[in-house]
Amino acid sequence: MLTVEEIDAGYKDLQALWGISLAVNEGEIVALVGPNGAGKTTTLRVISGLLKPSAGCVLLRGRSLAKEPAHRIVELGISQVPEGGRIFTGLTVLENLELGAFGSNARKVKDQSLQWVFGIFSRLEERQRQRAGTLSGGERQMLAIGRALMSKPGLLLLDEPSFGLAPLLVEQIFQMITEINRQGVTILLVEQNVRAALELTQRAYVIENGRIVGQGSGEALLSFESVRSAYLGSS
Amino acid sequence: MTGKRIITLVLIIAVLALLAALPAVVSRDSIINMAVLVLLYVALASSWNILGGYTGQTNLGHAAFFGLGGLTTRLLWLSAGWSLFPSLLAGAGAATTLALIIGTPAFKLKGVYFAIGTLALGQVLNVTVGDMFPMITSLPVQQLVSYQLLPRYYLFVGLAVLTVGTAYVLVNSRLGLGMMAVREEEEAAESLGVSAFRHKLLALVVSAFLAGLTGGAFAFYHVGYYPQFLFSPVWTFDALMMAYIGGTGTIIGPIIGALFFVVAKELLALRLVEIHLTVFGTLFILVVLFLPGGFVQAWASIRRALVRQLGARGVRLASRRQAS
Repeated sequence: MLTVEEIDAGYKDLQALWGISLAVNEGEIVALVGPNGAGKTTTLRVISGLLKPSAGCVLLRGRSLAKEPAHRIVELGISQVPEGGRIFTGLTVLENLELGAFGSNARKVKDQSLQWVFGIFSRLEERQRQRAGTLSGGERQMLAIGRALMSKPGLLLLDEPSFGLAPLLVEQIFQMITEINRQGVTILLVEQNVRAALELTQRAYVIENGRIVGQGSGEALLSFESVRSAYLGSS
Repeated sequence: MTGKRIITLVLIIAVLALLAALPAVVSRDSIINMAVLVLLYVALASSWNILGGYTGQTNLGHAAFFGLGGLTTRLLWLSAGWSLFPSLLAGAGAATTLALIIGTPAFKLKGVYFAIGTLALGQVLNVTVGDMFPMITSLPVQQLVSYQLLPRYYLFVGLAVLTVGTAYVLVNSRLGLGMMAVREEEEAAESLGVSAFRHKLLALVVSAFLAGLTGGAFAFYHVGYYPQFLFSPVWTFDALMMAYIGGTGTIIGPIIGALFFVVAKELLALRLVEIHLTVFGTLFILVVLFLPGGFVQAWASIRRALVRQLGARGVRLASRRQAS
């Protein structure tokens, strides 16, 4: 479904990604794990078109996204949940969700999508008239994911959905992600919480210093010695 | 919700009726002139608010659009002999054209750099016009003889209604939602498919059109002034201060701000001459520091506190009744 081929990218003079390649198949949950500053978020930004690569290409169902601006890529079916949610705190929950269905195709089925999102996150339905700034951390993350789902994406990019959440909430959010995937949405997940991510996913890539250094099934990587010692605190 | 809506509707009708009947109630020109000033500032502050308040782009060159509208309208109306409404539209059109030209380069700048860039733009026009049109413009004798205040007053009523109405319709539309999303989190908005540039440009164009119209109305209203006067940064900063004091990003904020500003300025100027500048400067700083939502926010907090107080008393009364 998604193919990333030999991507180089960076900010001004600083190159952050060196020849990144990865692939996500229809219906999968794939994780991209690695330490702080490894290039995980940068990779997602390249896929969603917020950052243009200096070399290489991103293909969605065989079609190049090189010339597409970010808002077109959303319409083509890739939706991103940015790190920390980045919800619109000054607007209501409902307005946030409506913004998720901003593209013309998504707008046509907005009410239907809204029911779908409320079905997954019933908490959001209860709070739809509230200003998003009054939500708790977990609810904000739900809103960020719900907002991304409003564009009816085929592929959902999740950037650190466990960021800043209590362990119990992380478990809840991950269960919801599994549920979303079961309903037919392909997911590419970036996480620092490596153990939780690898338990959730079928496949994972390990990224370090802007390069892919390992890949395999989630379980295999969990038993991968370097991953264990590097990210899971040994034993 | 619907009850609130009915109250709002009744209030709007009452204000419109009051505005329509004002000349019949008060006969003193000074009051009508003050009302014109309030309406002028309502239009100017509301037009600034579309880009500055709802889209989050602090435009410090708003006077350029106001001035260009005024200059164009005055030239066409007085020198070229056009009738009033085409001249007004042409003035607004000139301001809109300027917005379209500077929009693309200006929005390459973000945050404070956009503010500095637009400040420079305003000053460039200010100086240029000052150099090109050194002489005072005044109404010709036949215009002065036939000068009537009332048509001018009603023009400003219409202008204020048009500006506030446009702002209301715009911000309650899908485009308005996009504008607010750009204000809140530009990158998140982009990642949802909201083109930040297009929404900023749209807000700038509508804002400039209305400011140009306001400038044209001023040119029709005022008897004599230096052309450069309308390009003075004072117009920008007055509009900005009114929007902030009333509450940016709300429809009612600039209206309250304009009313407060004009009345307070009048009272202070009567008694303390130029000190009102210091007073407003201080007030502005205080509002930005402690009340970033302006009077609208203050009112919301007071109402919440009152409701809490009354609610608490209600509970206490109920429990006392139960106890007895």
